[in-house]
Amino acid sequence: MAPGLSDQEAALIRESIRDKYSRVAASGAVSCFQYPTGQEGLRQQQYPLDLIRDFPPSLIDSFLGVGNPFSLGPIYQGEAVLDIGCGAGFDALLAARMVGPSGRVAGIDVTPAMIDKAREHAAALGMSHAEFRVGEAESLPFPDDAFHVVISNGVLNLTLDKARALAEAHRVLKPGGRLLLADMVLVAALPPELAGKIDNWYQ
Amino acid sequence: MLQTGFTRASLTGYTGFKSSPYTEGALFYGEKLVDRSAEEAVSAQTPQLEEPKTLECPPGRT
Repeated sequence: MAPGLSDQEAALIRESIRDKYSRVAASGAVSCFQYPTGQEGLRQQQYPLDLIRDFPPSLIDSFLGVGNPFSLGPIYQGEAVLDIGCGAGFDALLAARMVGPSGRVAGIDVTPAMIDKAREHAAALGMSHAEFRVGEAESLPFPDDAFHVVISNGVLNLTLDKARALAEAHRVLKPGGRLLLADMVLVAALPPELAGKIDNWYQ
Repeated sequence: MLQTGFTRASLTGYTGFKSSPYTEGALFYGEKLVDRSAEEAVSAQTPQLEEPKTLECPPGRT
């Protein structure tokens, strides 16, 4: 069970997050987020646009990240990378471009509709070294020491047990592996009328 | 991150993307130590782990 939440509350949060991102997968991100998404989000976060020139518009539009985890350090050819909460696959497929065919990339997401989109995007780009599957950050479906790099972008804040999710990221990293994380954090105290509200999780 | 075993854990900056007046994107970096003996050696030699570095740049600035 998630710390501080009843089973019913945890189930409601999981279901509501999945519903929200299923809607985004079906209809796009327009008006769902307070910050820039898609091409404008990528431009503002200074993503390496030269590496994504052939990415299909639907993949560009699917970018919902809150930052640029690739700005935290290089990813090398031949490396294995895991994207936790990969959505429709933008960051994972950019990582797949960086590691090249000699590397491999895995993406997991709790929303099956997003995984379907990510697989479509990988197929459109011919990136057979990128695989996507439904899974949760708190119980990663991978063995110990499997990846050189774990990335995640705007997802950890949505996990119900953050300590367990971080422990899982640590477990699947190889010794010497790097965690490159972009996520939402509190920068000011929530007012009393908002603190503790369940629907803060999926607004 | 330190509690789950990461080393060189740090909050390196804020991204300027806000999902509310109270929340903003931030960037974190961490590494998994090369081997268990190194982890134990660091633990033995470290009286108290420092808190992750914060606020190198204030919220709202990348």
